[in-house]
Amino acid sequence: MMIEIENLVKRYGNTLALDHFDLNVKEGEIYGLLGPNGSGKSTAINCMLSLLKYDRGSIRIMGEEMSPDNYRVKSQIGIVMQDVAVFEELNVYDNIDCFCSLYVRDRKKRKEMVEDAIRFAGLEEYRKSYPKKLSGGLLRRLNIACGIAHRPKLIILDEPTVAVDPQSRNRILEGICELNRQGSTIVYTSHYMEEVEQICTRIAIMDHGKNIAIGTKEELKSMIKTGETVTIEAVILGVDDLAEIRELPHVFDLHYEDQKLVVKCTRAKHNLLRILNYLQEKDIPFGRVFSELPTLNDVFLEITGKRLRD
Amino acid sequence: MLTMIWYSFLTKIKNINLIFWPLVFPFVLTTAMYFSIGQIQEADFETVRAAVVSQAEKADETFLLFLDSMEQDSDLLEVEKMPEQDAVYALEKGEISGIFYAGEKPSLTVGGSGFPQTILQMVLESYIEGKETLEDVASYHPEGMDAALASMKSYGDTVEQISLGGRTTDSTAQFFYAMIGMACLYGCFIGYGSAMELQANLTPLAARRCAGPANRMKMILTELLVSFTLHFVNMMILLAYMKYILRLEFSGSFAEMLPVLFLGSMIGVTMGMFITSMGRMGEGMKIGIMVGVSMIMSFMAGLMNGNMKNVIDRSFPVLNRINPAALISDAMYCINVYDSPERYFRDMMLLGGLCVLMAAGTFMIIRRKRYDSI
Repeated sequence: MMIEIENLVKRYGNTLALDHFDLNVKEGEIYGLLGPNGSGKSTAINCMLSLLKYDRGSIRIMGEEMSPDNYRVKSQIGIVMQDVAVFEELNVYDNIDCFCSLYVRDRKKRKEMVEDAIRFAGLEEYRKSYPKKLSGGLLRRLNIACGIAHRPKLIILDEPTVAVDPQSRNRILEGICELNRQGSTIVYTSHYMEEVEQICTRIAIMDHGKNIAIGTKEELKSMIKTGETVTIEAVILGVDDLAEIRELPHVFDLHYEDQKLVVKCTRAKHNLLRILNYLQEKDIPFGRVFSELPTLNDVFLEITGKRLRD
Repeated sequence: MLTMIWYSFLTKIKNINLIFWPLVFPFVLTTAMYFSIGQIQEADFETVRAAVVSQAEKADETFLLFLDSMEQDSDLLEVEKMPEQDAVYALEKGEISGIFYAGEKPSLTVGGSGFPQTILQMVLESYIEGKETLEDVASYHPEGMDAALASMKSYGDTVEQISLGGRTTDSTAQFFYAMIGMACLYGCFIGYGSAMELQANLTPLAARRCAGPANRMKMILTELLVSFTLHFVNMMILLAYMKYILRLEFSGSFAEMLPVLFLGSMIGVTMGMFITSMGRMGEGMKIGIMVGVSMIMSFMAGLMNGNMKNVIDRSFPVLNRINPAALISDAMYCINVYDSPERYFRDMMLLGGLCVLMAAGTFMIIRRKRYDSI
């Protein structure tokens, strides 16, 4: 096991930031911690890194009790902070070299690692540039390069794509998968469910300092009632129509507003067809129609009663 | 560790905020004060022209004699006896700076304000004060009258300061000693930068460094060493500039002054680290505290008012013993003017004690490895 956290409790005064939080990350995983802002993701990360004191619980990384003085374990961890953490006074190359030097003493070996990190982050053209001259996306890439240059076994990325353009975001996500393929275990925190769905092999959904659900994305989606969401636009329905649609097989919830109908169905075949047949039989005209499989947002919504981005 | 030292050095010398206050600002202030004081001193050598109007029978003959004596003994004053009408005309034309009236009670009329007028006023005041003293002596100790008169005649000699070692100084030197005190304390800005890179609860950069496998003690020592060395070099450059370029009155040897700069730099840097590391105040608040503390200490050491240190020494001497700026200024005074090894060693011991206290306090705060909140 790469990370084992048991019963972790962290309080900020009267606020309970981590409420008996458990986490088990296996070697080779891309483990996603998904939750809204303030759910305790960064607090959990800072406790893992031995930067924060906690009230109760234990943290073991690579089989060893984690402590501020466990330099052996620390040397095998790469950290990418939520806020860009680089020296404004150093250029791209020196920034990466500076952080890499905390982990790797051998100058020759380090040089090779820094070059690899620059290539990995696509910063070849900017090696002499200072952070002030870099765009937001490039800065984020530099932030990641500084965290992974020493080729750590465990990489912790705390919301690395906040305020990043789509192009840089895709590059970052591809890079994370590449690091995983090269053998690193990844812990990835985000409040963007699409990213977590895209790259994570296992996901923990957090809220109020606790894990409310853990599993692969398929497992998480199977935990909820929603199997399919059908949306029909530009449709005019009466109260009787809505009552009849609600009575169709596998329909368990519907919402109608501004001529837009959203129907939630349990997992079953032909949900969309049944609804369309009903409209055809009643000779009710309609506009665009689409069907969606459940998202992690649906999982979060059903479990907590609120949307992930609330 | 060498790489850590190198990058720590590089980040500091490239940070304009860290370099401006401890190095550039004292340079600018020193240069500005040098030229402004220089102008005042140049004005010293310009002869001030004045008229004296003798007011008939009531004329104070002693005052007339006093003015004659002042005119003969120095180039400072040129006094011409004139009828009142001519004197007023000359004053209006700007040919003279003032008119002394030698009546029953001597008085002065000036045509404006400025350095020459101030000198004329000082001449009059010194006469009146001296006269009162002589009258007191005549009333209470008539036997000492001759000695008092002789003393008054040689008034010009008595105001010259002569140190025990035979070295002299002017009053402006005190300002520059206090300036060195201020510059030493401004090392707090470098200490501030170091603490911001060491304390995980202050910046993400520090958090990233603390999450790494570098030994905490090594990191602290590296930052302290680089910050201190940088500031010590800053101070040596400033002192060399004052002594060799501006040729200010620093008669002690450069090497003699280094221990003062050494301790002063250390206090400045550790003070900055201490203030930055304590509590979770905003950056602006911390910088405000640092500037405020440095300026108050420098003010009390005589930066804005050369006499302030003496005033505090008379009324509340303990303040001068715990104020590093005053101790630095006093130690510089001991080296350059006042040959008093005891006083110098007392200053150095106190500075050393403050330095140890500040470093220990800083270390106690900064050695934390885990924080309550980030």
